[in-house]
Amino acid sequence: MATRTISPSRGPAKTSGRDRAERKLAFRMTAPSLVIMALVAAVPIGYAIWLSLNQYSVRTAGLSRFVGLENYINALASREWWAAFGQTFLFAGLSVTLELILGTAMALLLNLAFKGRAVLRTVVLLPYAIITVVSAITWQTMFQPNMGLVTNVLSTLGLPGGDVVWLGEHGYAMAVIVMADVWKTTPFAALIILAGLQVISAETYEAAELDGASKWQTFVNITLPLLRPAIVLAAIFRTMDALRVFDLPFVLTRGANGTESMSMLAYTQLRENRLVGEGSALSILTFLTVMVVSVIYVRFAGGNIRDVAKEEQ
Amino acid sequence: MDLNRPASPLQNKATNRKALAATAIATALLLSACGGGAAPQGAEQAAAADPASGANASGAVNICGVKDASGIYKGTAEAFTKANGKVTAKYTEIGATTDEARTQIVQRLEGKSTECDLFLTDVIWTSEFASQGWLLDQTKLVEANKDRLIPSTVETTKYQDKYWASPFFTNAGLIYYQKDKVAKPETWQQLYAEAAKAPGDGYVYQGKQYEGLTVNFLEMLYSAGGEVLNDQGEVKIDSKETREVLNFMSDGLKNGSADRAVLTYNEDPARLAYESGDFGYQRNWPHVYRLLNATPLASSFGVAPLPAWEGGKASGVLGGWNLAISAHSTNQAGAVAFIDFATTPEWQKHVAMDYSQAPVNEAAYSDAAVLQKMPFATELLASVKGAKPRPISPVYPQISQAIYKNVYAVLSGTTSTEDAVKKMADEITTAKASF
Repeated sequence: MATRTISPSRGPAKTSGRDRAERKLAFRMTAPSLVIMALVAAVPIGYAIWLSLNQYSVRTAGLSRFVGLENYINALASREWWAAFGQTFLFAGLSVTLELILGTAMALLLNLAFKGRAVLRTVVLLPYAIITVVSAITWQTMFQPNMGLVTNVLSTLGLPGGDVVWLGEHGYAMAVIVMADVWKTTPFAALIILAGLQVISAETYEAAELDGASKWQTFVNITLPLLRPAIVLAAIFRTMDALRVFDLPFVLTRGANGTESMSMLAYTQLRENRLVGEGSALSILTFLTVMVVSVIYVRFAGGNIRDVAKEEQ
Repeated sequence: MDLNRPASPLQNKATNRKALAATAIATALLLSACGGGAAPQGAEQAAAADPASGANASGAVNICGVKDASGIYKGTAEAFTKANGKVTAKYTEIGATTDEARTQIVQRLEGKSTECDLFLTDVIWTSEFASQGWLLDQTKLVEANKDRLIPSTVETTKYQDKYWASPFFTNAGLIYYQKDKVAKPETWQQLYAEAAKAPGDGYVYQGKQYEGLTVNFLEMLYSAGGEVLNDQGEVKIDSKETREVLNFMSDGLKNGSADRAVLTYNEDPARLAYESGDFGYQRNWPHVYRLLNATPLASSFGVAPLPAWEGGKASGVLGGWNLAISAHSTNQAGAVAFIDFATTPEWQKHVAMDYSQAPVNEAAYSDAAVLQKMPFATELLASVKGAKPRPISPVYPQISQAIYKNVYAVLSGTTSTEDAVKKMADEITTAKASF
């Protein structure tokens, strides 16, 4: 990915003796952190890959056999994996879209100059500071049939949804999980987008104003394009997180009603069933899925950043 | 992308892209790295516990298990320490829920930890733990104590003709009902019919997609004469009885016998719903008796054993907790002494009187002092004696998932009974073929 070091637009590179020496020094300086990165990331993943190529007996302790790609083949041939795959992507698509829209709106508000802005910026982060399991239990209580806050309010006002068992129905259960995630992580998206807003120079806006651009034109033609890198970053972080979702469905539905995620499937095999090989294969598949998605993001959304830059030039 | 750098993104396009890619990949790697899990340890020849060793025991004994909600574990450890004089026992909580405790216990056993001498084990864990060589063989000990233990509770500690734990207290489902609104149920059919009569008479049970649904389903299946595995261990769930029970349960949700909300209920939400006074019947465990007594319903609720299937007999599913000695315990004699104390008829009375749990000693149920504290002891004993264990297999977790996921699919209306029964049988067969 990030291996192209010399950009042709910068002209041919001249390497003097000093440059080479500096490069060597740079390598030596970064070596320790590269080694640590390898130990922290590569070793556990390598081990997980090894586990995923074996099966470990649940009947006889210590018995294992090498099965090659059998665990992967079985997983990819199973209905459960593809159901979990689809459900995870549905969840990620819905929640990340909502989080980016609401996050942008929230960032724009927080960027305005008003009294108490600093306090508000801290306060909006509160949902993000709450442990997911705790917020999941809160949402569960609110949507409880007969006694929950939401169901009670809806039926008192005579609105639809008051007599629905939200966590017990397809579609509704996913809606609650998406809501819980949006509520919790929109502030995180907003914070990243706010940082992006703050680096847009005031001169750009002044120029737009002089040209007689309306507020909407300014937003569409200046703010949004310049915000794109920040939005893409927020999208990458949130998508990767959302694709690994575990705690919300685990607490709210235990995977019932079309809410079982890829990570839940891996957890069930690894922890509940102690099928170490099969579970590791599912973890690796989840990992590969997340990785492919982030590469696609960087290729396409990252490419957008360049196009915008070119247009501007 | 470096947000601290006050430069416009336009000037840093190349750096931005590379940094984005690097950040994305590094994060993906780090976040996914925790998926591995531990590799199994080497096999061990199971050693046996010596029943006579308890008499000369000394030192400290550490018992590990789930959070002590009723105080019974710590209470028993204290009483034992006081009575014994030579051995001191302490209870260590290693998990807030049953699932968490299991994970913690498995981690310690896989790592050959000597921290715990005794583990408090759920009745469904016996085969799995024993097959891994994690437990001390308690056959001689159980046989020495057998005459004071209820046979069905002893069966829960058996795997491949040996006993791997001693029963501490047992558990069986009960029906709580509102005497002012509905009749005491004799059959499930009668209960469902009665529950459908008026909006406030409904039935609540544990219908969420989890272990509790397996229990609720098997209670009916057993009373209807069905089974999951037969005595030879063959899969027998693809039967007329399974279809009957599934249709019965799903019709019950459609015609209002049971509230649809049960699809989200485990034990506590079911109890809370019942406490609101909006229901006629509730299926739950014995400990709920004490909690209901502290509510406005105290004078109006009754307790009944689980009803029979029409034309069949009453049955149930045995729950409860056993005491297993770790293969890595450094004080096995002390552990034996603790088990001896916990299973005495005298202490078993306290199990009922002080903690509202079901004793594993039959005489305790007819003791006058126990009956005063636990007036439903007779019904409870009937439930315990009629209850059968869940399928005994080292792959029980997979078997249970096959049951509760497919039962749930029928109840929530996403799968037909026919498809669910076929799938259940297939999945159980696959699980049993696990390596």
